[in-house]
Amino acid sequence: MLEGGCLCGGVRYEISGGLDKLHFCHCQMCRRGHGGPFASYAAVNPRDRRYTRGESLIARYPSSADVVRSFCSRCGSSLEFTPASTPEQTWISAGGFDADPGIRPIGHIYVESKAPWFEIEDDLPQHAGAGI
Amino acid sequence: MTARESEVTRGGCLCGGVRYEVSGPFTAMLLCHCQMCRRMHGTPFASYAAVDPRHRRYTQGEELIREYASSAAAVRSFCSRCGSKLEFRDSKAPNEIWIAAGSFDGDPGIRSSAHIFVASKAPWYEIADDLPQYPEYPT
Repeated sequence: MLEGGCLCGGVRYEISGGLDKLHFCHCQMCRRGHGGPFASYAAVNPRDRRYTRGESLIARYPSSADVVRSFCSRCGSSLEFTPASTPEQTWISAGGFDADPGIRPIGHIYVESKAPWFEIEDDLPQHAGAGI
Repeated sequence: MTARESEVTRGGCLCGGVRYEVSGPFTAMLLCHCQMCRRMHGTPFASYAAVDPRHRRYTQGEELIREYASSAAAVRSFCSRCGSKLEFRDSKAPNEIWIAAGSFDGDPGIRSSAHIFVASKAPWYEIADDLPQYPEYPT
């Protein structure tokens, strides 16, 4: 069981399995939301992700018609990216994991929107758009 | 003064509610791998650029900004509507604030000079560049 949570400790979750497709997204929406050069998300079926504490603290922002981004309203920690069009898949912000999720990044997406101040130096596949 | 220093860097949050402009030079940009930054940003590291607080002006939505005191000295701010990370400041260093670099509209001109708190690095992330790495904050 992989556990994780936000910075203030208010929101806690556990993931019982099926974590997949860890990747880095360089789109401008992810860059703004996360405040960095990219976001890093891993996919899981929402059935396998259970909030164990602080679900009432979670704030949700619809960043497009299809996508809701959630965060802790107390400390601002990014939690999930959830597309309505794929109800069997939600994306967990990898920085929230307590320990090693076991999986490794498989690539960079939306590199056409990459921050001008950041260079990708690793050898992972790069996709101009969605790609994953 | 270089050409860069006379320019204004603008930025803001994802929902567009909070907007700011920076009129002075950035003095550093660092990539921080500490667990607090990793949890807050949801990423393997945070990226912050330092500026004198007198040179950063909020032009819109300051009332949307929420602050979280992550330690006795540190305050982290974010947009309460969309959750975008905005700033890190440390009361022990009142002459600088650190702006979350993902919020910049364009190129701030400055580049990252180091990875810090690498002793706390995420096990699932490998640093592939040649920037200096410090186990904690360089002294």
